[in-house]
Amino acid sequence: MIVGEQKPFEEIWDMVKGHKQITVLGCNTCVSVCHQGGSKEAEILASLLRMRATQEEVEIIIENDGIERQCEHPFFDKISDNLQGSESVLSLACGIGVQFIAGKYPSLPVYPALNTTFLGDVPAEGVFMEKCQACGDCVLGITGGICPVSRCCKRIFNGPCGGSTNGKCEISKDIDCAWQLVVDRLEALGKLDDYEKITPVKDWSKDRSGGPRTFKLEGF
Amino acid sequence: MKRVAKVKGYLQLVGIDPRRVEFYNLSAAQGPRWADICTEFTERINSLGPSPIAIALQKKKANTTVETQAA
Repeated sequence: MIVGEQKPFEEIWDMVKGHKQITVLGCNTCVSVCHQGGSKEAEILASLLRMRATQEEVEIIIENDGIERQCEHPFFDKISDNLQGSESVLSLACGIGVQFIAGKYPSLPVYPALNTTFLGDVPAEGVFMEKCQACGDCVLGITGGICPVSRCCKRIFNGPCGGSTNGKCEISKDIDCAWQLVVDRLEALGKLDDYEKITPVKDWSKDRSGGPRTFKLEGF
Repeated sequence: MKRVAKVKGYLQLVGIDPRRVEFYNLSAAQGPRWADICTEFTERINSLGPSPIAIALQKKKANTTVETQAA
């Protein structure tokens, strides 16, 4: 899922304080799992902004709402009238949701309340960890299910690099060496022979270096 | 208690003294302790004075009254 973190409150306040009205809009899918961008967080943020506005004697109407996803048209149906009547929107979605609103409502100013940080999982309660960089050419089938693109600090494909010690990366003792994980996993699977195979140079044109990517389902 | 700590953090973020919120666990049999807590907390709030929100709202109300009278 997409993981995000709320921006510092001061940064958010500076973005919105010039408006007369703003709708604080939560997104109840990915970023609600990390307790940063759901309807509940939108309600809390709206309350904090109201308190700040009151203290600074700024006249601004702050409302809050939320939908399941800010990246698909159908989910906007129930709030479209409200949004079209809004002067501005503070979106708690990831960068995708913010851009979707910008595209869907061309004359409506939209501001991001979150910094979209990574694609990750939830290995333990309250812990989120990057696991994928959407490189567009998945190699997990030959690395035992451990991603060298997102988990190796150097993104190397024939590791380890020589900088790892006791299974930890030279970047930080808190970061596992991805290639140590790959070797351990291949060994556990009885596939260590795969480790000896040299991975050819990766085709990065399928990553961001090929520009924004699109995918279209046939028959739609 | 984690939630209370979080609320305290939120309040601090908007310039409100986090000591305005407190959480206690008591059983129904601890009447005297309940009374002590109420007394202590009331003293604390009195010493902190009106919250910045209350002050801002009073100021706004006073300004509105003056404007209404002027009109």
